[in-house]
Amino acid sequence: NKMLSSEMWIHILAIALFCCGSADSRKVRGISSSYKRFYREKKSFLCIDGSKLIPFEQVNDDYCDCADGSDEPGTSACPHGRFYCTNLGFRPHYIPSSRVNDGICDCCDASDEYNSHARCQNTCWNLGQRERAYVEGQMRTLDEGLRLKQQLIEEGVLLWREKQAQLRELQQVAEDLQIKLEEHRRKKREADRFKEQTLRALKGGDGGKSFHLKNKTLGGILICLFCNPYSISLDEVKAEVVPVHDEERHLGDDEAMVLTTTESAKTNRTLTCVLAHLLNTNKKFTVQGIKKVSFCWVLICDLQKKLAIDYGTDWEFLFLNGQCYKLKVYEYMYTLCPFNHITQKSTAGTEVSLGLWGMWAEPAKNRYNQMIYENGEPCWQGGSRSTTVTLTCGTETALRSVKEPSKCQYIMDFQTPVACQPVLKQRGVHSEL
Amino acid sequence: MAPVLVLWLAMCLGATWAVDRGNFKTCDQSAFCKRQRALKPGDSPYRALLETMELTNTRLTLQLINDNNKVRLLLELYRLQGNITRVKINELKPLKPRYEVPDVLIRDPPTEPLSVLSQDESGVVLSLGAESQRVIVSVRPFRLDIMEGHDVLMSLNSRGLLAFEHLRMRKDTFSYKVTSTVASVWDNIKRVFSSRADPEAEKKEEADSADQAEATKEEEEKAEEGMWEETFKSHSDSKPNGPSSISLDFSFPGVEHVYGIPEHADDLKLKTTDNGDPYRLFNLDVFQYELYNPMALYGAVPVMLAHNAQRTTGIFWLNAAETWVDISSNTAGKTVFGKMLDYVQGSSEIPQTDVRWISESGIIDVFIMLGPTPKHVFSQYASLTGTQSFPPLASLGYHQCRWNYNDQEDVRSVDAGFDEYDIPYDFIWLDIEHTDGKRYFTWDPHKFATPKEMLQGLLDKKRKMVAIVDPHIKIDSNYKIHNEIRSRGFYVKNKDGGDYEGWCWPGNAGYPDFTRADMRAWWASMFAYDQYEGSMENLYTWNDMNEPSVFNGPEVTMHKDAVHGDWENRDVHNIYGLYVQMATAEGLVQRSGGVERPFVLTRAFFAGSQRYGAVWTGDNAAEWDHLKISIPMCLSLGLVGISFCGADVGGFFKSPTPELLVRWYQTGAYQPFFRAHAHLDTPRREPWLFGPENTALIREAIRQRYTFLPYWYQQFYHAYRTGEPVMRPLWVEYTQDPATFAVDDEFLIGQNLLVHPVTEEGARGVTAYLPGKEEVWFDIHTFQKHNGAQNLYIPVTMSSIPVFQRGGSIIPRKMRVRRSSSCMEHDPYTLYAALNARGVAEGELYMDDGHTFNYEKKEFIHRRLSFSNNVLSSVNLVPDSHFTTNSWIERIVLIGSSKPAKVTLKTADGIESQLEFDFDASMSVVTVRKPGMNAGADWTVTLE
Repeated sequence: NKMLSSEMWIHILAIALFCCGSADSRKVRGISSSYKRFYREKKSFLCIDGSKLIPFEQVNDDYCDCADGSDEPGTSACPHGRFYCTNLGFRPHYIPSSRVNDGICDCCDASDEYNSHARCQNTCWNLGQRERAYVEGQMRTLDEGLRLKQQLIEEGVLLWREKQAQLRELQQVAEDLQIKLEEHRRKKREADRFKEQTLRALKGGDGGKSFHLKNKTLGGILICLFCNPYSISLDEVKAEVVPVHDEERHLGDDEAMVLTTTESAKTNRTLTCVLAHLLNTNKKFTVQGIKKVSFCWVLICDLQKKLAIDYGTDWEFLFLNGQCYKLKVYEYMYTLCPFNHITQKSTAGTEVSLGLWGMWAEPAKNRYNQMIYENGEPCWQGGSRSTTVTLTCGTETALRSVKEPSKCQYIMDFQTPVACQPVLKQRGVHSEL
Repeated sequence: MAPVLVLWLAMCLGATWAVDRGNFKTCDQSAFCKRQRALKPGDSPYRALLETMELTNTRLTLQLINDNNKVRLLLELYRLQGNITRVKINELKPLKPRYEVPDVLIRDPPTEPLSVLSQDESGVVLSLGAESQRVIVSVRPFRLDIMEGHDVLMSLNSRGLLAFEHLRMRKDTFSYKVTSTVASVWDNIKRVFSSRADPEAEKKEEADSADQAEATKEEEEKAEEGMWEETFKSHSDSKPNGPSSISLDFSFPGVEHVYGIPEHADDLKLKTTDNGDPYRLFNLDVFQYELYNPMALYGAVPVMLAHNAQRTTGIFWLNAAETWVDISSNTAGKTVFGKMLDYVQGSSEIPQTDVRWISESGIIDVFIMLGPTPKHVFSQYASLTGTQSFPPLASLGYHQCRWNYNDQEDVRSVDAGFDEYDIPYDFIWLDIEHTDGKRYFTWDPHKFATPKEMLQGLLDKKRKMVAIVDPHIKIDSNYKIHNEIRSRGFYVKNKDGGDYEGWCWPGNAGYPDFTRADMRAWWASMFAYDQYEGSMENLYTWNDMNEPSVFNGPEVTMHKDAVHGDWENRDVHNIYGLYVQMATAEGLVQRSGGVERPFVLTRAFFAGSQRYGAVWTGDNAAEWDHLKISIPMCLSLGLVGISFCGADVGGFFKSPTPELLVRWYQTGAYQPFFRAHAHLDTPRREPWLFGPENTALIREAIRQRYTFLPYWYQQFYHAYRTGEPVMRPLWVEYTQDPATFAVDDEFLIGQNLLVHPVTEEGARGVTAYLPGKEEVWFDIHTFQKHNGAQNLYIPVTMSSIPVFQRGGSIIPRKMRVRRSSSCMEHDPYTLYAALNARGVAEGELYMDDGHTFNYEKKEFIHRRLSFSNNVLSSVNLVPDSHFTTNSWIERIVLIGSSKPAKVTLKTADGIESQLEFDFDASMSVVTVRKPGMNAGADWTVTLE
């Protein structure tokens, strides 16, 4: 940032010198120094697009002669012209010619209102001060932000490794359990088959249906359901479960209990329990065992799903997963849980989903500045609520603003150090001056 | 979002996307309409009693008797200044007074003497002044014929459809029995005395009373058909006054084209109604209205124009009750071939249009405007109800609206968006959500916490704001407005005498009785800066829902038996909305101490609403047909005096495709009231949200509007002075060209701009009719010349807005388009003079301060610009006017001119100077460079 301000000063000085140096020639209003060469006082003026040659007196004479507007840089005469505000002490910039002498102060040096009723003050110095302070602040924020980001990246990498390790560990545990369970089940099946045969022999009935449980299939369902990267609807789950369910007719009474107790839990938790029961051919022993296996699968899938998300090039956004950020706007409390969901709670207490984690807005460009949350609570006129979260650089991680520009379409401003981009710093320097 | 709104909208959306017709009455479901329509043309039972005729200097009165029931009516006939005949018919002795609409006529219309030309037992002939115009009053059956020479211009009751339901006592009630007994006793006494004096009279009396008895019997039989009570859906109308409807027919011999009676979403040329419902006039909040049908909409102007190649006439039916208008025609349904056959065979049948008006209550009070030209009719109607109010210049710019801009930050960022994308606009609008819980005159304490700061921000950019103020008032004892209205007894009452309550945006709401002058005065005072907190001089007002809309009322409006002082809503219904806008406009005038012109937009309207501001066509939809219908809807309003008309650009409901949105901007830019608006549930559609190409197209359309603002302003000044419509159908200017009579896909702005917007999806071209055999028309973009009286195919691209300047006109424009119209105040003018075949052109230049009433004190510049014999001159039209301007003439563009050798400017002080110019030989256009004279000065520019 030191470099920045000194560069700015040099620039200002250069302009000042330039202006003094060329004070002899008639001042052509509304042009920048780089365009000066087109306006050297001669007998005639060639429109910059080369379309027309006009007497030099017709430059800035408040009548538009050139189609490109180049003969009237200092007046409002040309429809598509532009006026250069020198703005000594602040940033120079162009305004449309239509803002010259329109009674509204646009240039901070008041140069655009040289012939109007508007009483414009030269505010460039103040603006410059403020701007410099602001830019310095921004730079400090950026520096601090980047420093914090580096920490978070390091933490992120650690976290990532930790999660990977957890995953491997869990997978191992699950496998072990599975093996034990199958061993037990094999024994049980043999016992059952024996029992069944005995019963059949007793009743003389035809055991048309096999109670043989296809472990492979079930395992497949489990993995397929839990690790499906797309969310699974309850209906889909039922569709998968019901055929198995039918075969297994003899579900225990406590199944209902489990179902009800897990009602509010995640779908896959419920499913786990259902499946646990499906597998439950010997309540006394296997309930515990299967629950353990299933729980492991849930954890594994959770982890896998979590780890499948794009957390940025250095896993710098990973730490946000699991956090929630709140902001009260008017009568609503908004909660953003990055990579999970967004909700809106009214003072009356009703909570509405504004969207579930969808994706990064521009993943292709590898830019991580906008998140999309979709498939929130349906709107009464069709469609569902969705939210676009824009990430901006800051030293703290916080939800800054929420708006609903169109019905059911929300936009949020979310500030976090991990959104700070070094590239932004580079661009900042150039664009500020 | 308020749960009310969700509930209501959800209810409405439950059905398919279109109006729910079942919510609105057909003629058959409206008892009086059904009764009246059952009466078929035939001999009228009415007879004029010539012996009762009285003629004073100002009026003729005459009694009419219904031979069926012996009820007498009083006919009053006036000849009014400016070729207008007024016909009033009321009961001779009504049981109680019948409603006569006040506050619509701007004064007691000045009369002119009537004289009897001849009289015998079959009728009277009265002279209507110098132009050999006469009224013939025929005795039996009663009818009126208005003649000029040998031609009948118009006949009244020629089909015998005069029907006047006299007020009567209800027969099954106690009070009736008492009065009827008393009456019969009195009759007996009378008979005893009279029999001595006149035995002849007795016989007659007996015959009469026998007749009456018979009639009474008949009435008793009919009494069940909704005369004393009527239900529609779950609503019942108590009808304490019983039947009171009126009807009268009018015939226009030689006429095949009738127009007017807005508001309907229908073609400009009115259709015959034989095979369906009549056109209905009853101010209603119609959710998602359908196009091309005669259903009632938000406003009602009971004025119809009849036109043929020889003459234009008009009827103004001054009645504010629910009204139905039937139209039939003897040529309707005839093919062109059929008509030709008639012609070849010399068929004697001349075309004729017959019209019948039916109203639920009140009296017959008709103004017959005899033209003979459309402009005469406009001035005749204006002499009765006034002209278009002269709007502030800024209100002719572009308006950006949406339901809703959410908060101050939203307003600020939309405002900034216009600057970022370099698009001009003058007004940003706030819909109902800006209020504190739909309590009008308040601001949401969070979202609009510092309204003055917001308004100041707009003021700094020379821009303005409109905030909505609806006439339903939240019933809430913590709400000042409600408490004051309640304590002053200003609410409309229900039939039982309590305050009428209905359901609207705020939930339970009261409806102030705007028919009361004291209520209106109080309401106006609420706009004072110290009353309306957060208001500033750049805040203006929008009156919506003023039909009035009552979500839980019959047909989504007020119960007809609700009480406004001495009258029922039945009597005053259609004028309620006018009063709301009247009171609001008065408030805006008063807050500035009478200095500043108001701007108030209204949805409901009536005859005379033109005096109070602008009107829009209500809740349309983002569909191509809705874009198309905006043209005839505004043309129809213009014909009946309401020039300041527009449709929601983009369509209110649903979401437009970018193409439709662009086309709508291009159309709206050439319609009087130019406002984009969108429903709460639609995605954002500010002009820059559809990619750079569409942004550029919209920007260009809006910029074109701003370059023409001087012309628009002058047109509105003209409308204010004359009552002529700003946006007008072609036939108004080309009265003798039948090819123009039904055109409503193009229109004129004033006399000089012809606009044929592109209203077809994916259009590659449009065919515009260029009217006038003698005319030439110039494309305003390319200056290409086209002859009149031809159908011209115009290839179009997305950037095309086919607009033509009439050869023979001079249009002043301001080509330096800035952020808002106020920013352009001091800018120089470019004069576009398009020469006609004779090398002549004329135009006007009008300017003033743009926002005060000082123009009434002649603080303006009004000049005639004319070009002939190669001299363009500017002459003061009003020598005693006084206004100075910094504006000057920066350019003169002579279209269709030959190349001059030199161009000389001569100013008022006699100094001559040579002017530079360019000549474009391909289009014959001379562009005079920077003549530089002050726009208010006398000067001549000579081409040699």
